[in-house]
Amino acid sequence: MKSRAPSLILSWIAQIIAIVIMGQTLYFKFNGAPESIVLFTELGMEPEGRMLVGILELVTCILLIIPASVTFGAILGSALMVGAIIGHCTVLGWEGDRFYLGILAVSVLIACSVILYIRRYTVPFLGSALHGDETPHEERY
Amino acid sequence: MAVTGKLVVNLHNLARFTNIAVPLLAGLFFVSGLRISFYFHFLSVGFLFLTILNAFYLYGQRGHSLLRNFGILGQGRYILESVGPELRQYLYSNDTEERPFNRNERAEVYRKAQNTNSASSFGSQKNFDSTEVKVRHSMFPIHKSELKHTHITFGEERGCANPYTLERPFIISGMSYGALGESAVRVFARGAKQARILMNTGEGGYPKYHLEEGCDLIFQIGTAKFGVRQSDGQLDDQKLRDLVANETVKMIEIKFSQGAKPGKGGLLPKEKITEEISELRGVPIGEDVVSPTSHAECTDIESAVRFIAHVQEVSQLPVGIKMCVGLSTEFREFVTEMKRQNVFPDWITVDGAEGGSGAAPKAFMDRVGIPLFPGLKRVNNILTELEARDRLKIVASGKLVGPGRQMIAFCLGADVIASARGFMLAAGCIQAMQCGNNTCPIGITTHDPNLQRGLDITLKANRVENYVNNLEHDLVELLCATGCRSIQELSFDHLYVPKDSTLHTYIINSK
Ligand SMILES: Cc1cc2nc3c(=O)[nH]c(=O)nc-3n(C[C@H](O)[C@H](O)[C@H](O)COP(=O)(O)O)c2cc1C
Repeated sequence: MKSRAPSLILSWIAQIIAIVIMGQTLYFKFNGAPESIVLFTELGMEPEGRMLVGILELVTCILLIIPASVTFGAILGSALMVGAIIGHCTVLGWEGDRFYLGILAVSVLIACSVILYIRRYTVPFLGSALHGDETPHEERY
Repeated sequence: MAVTGKLVVNLHNLARFTNIAVPLLAGLFFVSGLRISFYFHFLSVGFLFLTILNAFYLYGQRGHSLLRNFGILGQGRYILESVGPELRQYLYSNDTEERPFNRNERAEVYRKAQNTNSASSFGSQKNFDSTEVKVRHSMFPIHKSELKHTHITFGEERGCANPYTLERPFIISGMSYGALGESAVRVFARGAKQARILMNTGEGGYPKYHLEEGCDLIFQIGTAKFGVRQSDGQLDDQKLRDLVANETVKMIEIKFSQGAKPGKGGLLPKEKITEEISELRGVPIGEDVVSPTSHAECTDIESAVRFIAHVQEVSQLPVGIKMCVGLSTEFREFVTEMKRQNVFPDWITVDGAEGGSGAAPKAFMDRVGIPLFPGLKRVNNILTELEARDRLKIVASGKLVGPGRQMIAFCLGADVIASARGFMLAAGCIQAMQCGNNTCPIGITTHDPNLQRGLDITLKANRVENYVNNLEHDLVELLCATGCRSIQELSFDHLYVPKDSTLHTYIINSK
């Protein structure tokens, strides 16, 4: 309710970007596309990890679509992407295709951060502390 | 902090431990992710986020001192506290403990509304020692057929051109469209029509939905005069004439004060101001609407009485006033002035300080005004002393949701009972106490269509009707038990008033 209309639209654009990027990789993960299998084999997570990450990303997409859970989706999404980026930094590297994949993860992370920033007052565990600074008549002390 | 050597849960220490442990664990899991298995990074990312959040609590925000001192563990308090009201209402509060209405009181209304058996077993849960007022019964109860009817005619005393006869002594007390949503207005209006009682519009301006449902109405003129206002805040006589031209507008109530906020005007929070409401009331969107504390025409007792006469003259209907009792001396002067001008309102609604409200300042709700029973007794006494009691009727309101308290009010001089929250409960209110936030989970005090959806108008209107039927049923049985043939025969002597009751000071010759 706090955010004004233009920023809400921006949030929805970011949500859609995140959903589209994550969503299209799901297809490869669940179908066991060779590139995907290679990645997760290098990480030592094949095949359970591939499925686990796929399911979590699917959940993220769903949370990002339903208005009541957008902030939860953005938190989960950014956590997954931080994990992916750790993967690129420690195991997978950034050469060739990998660079492209890594940039996708960074893009989703940025999208999720934008969503969280725009909706910061409704983010669980964070919103009320932000309120506390700005609205003196908040009930908590 | 003393080190005692005993194993005790020291929350201060635990919080400090947590603040160091969280980042340490994040690092540890990260290393495990590198060395042992990538799966550990699920944990390292989680703990990384916790570390960032905790740093924000400890060093970033300033609003919550507790989080600034203790960090993430301090959230535990807020989380637990936030589910407290629900847990208490669902599980931990006993049946006679909650306020304003405890579980027993609510359940009694629900049973009456749903037409289910209301016999209780084993014994009363009330406190019998020293505070509870009881009704005295007769050794020789009479039979129903010996009772006189319960009709009450407003306006008969002064020979009003259009008197109104209420068949059953119950009124749905004023709740504005604004405080209520559209569906709720329809539920109450339809229910009132089915039950053949009156509904008070509250100070919500033009009663659009009430008129559509076609029940008998009391139109309330609040201090802001929504619906009948000139731009300077005075009464617009023509608008009032147009309004009373509607056949179902039977009476007019001038609101002087309300028990929940005596000395303050009405308040409608901005969350609840829809386009339609802003139009019906003539107020802007996006601001709280605060009614003035008094009527522009009424600056002293003399002008207040003249205003009552004026409204009687313009409307040609029975005209009453609603007030919460404050200074008894002032009320005495008020009645004296009525006698001097020979102008009496056709009824006085005595609203107790325990009355409800969609939104009222807490200090006023908690601390201002006289509670119903002593207030009612005082009003009845003063009117009787000044020989004016037979010039008007008395309507009583203030937590009169069940037959017990209603009976006491009748004994204290009331002719008719008005209730707001009784009817809300009958319509399914669960006392979530969110009337001012537009988030009523039952859909009564909200304009959110998704929440109003839950309120089935036909079904709930039937419940309102059932509730009235069952209240009347109990009233009749109680009357028979006292041996009185009508409500008017009831008196203070029919009450047993123990020493610690607020009414005890009124006992003259102890019985
Ligand atoms: C939601 C709500 C809205 C109300 N709106 C009005 C109002 O517009 N005008 C008024 O005079 N009283 C208003 N009241 C007060 C009631 O009419 C009544 O006097 C009071 O609640 C006492 O009755 P009760 O204890 O049976 O609820 C409102 C009460 C509630 C709960």
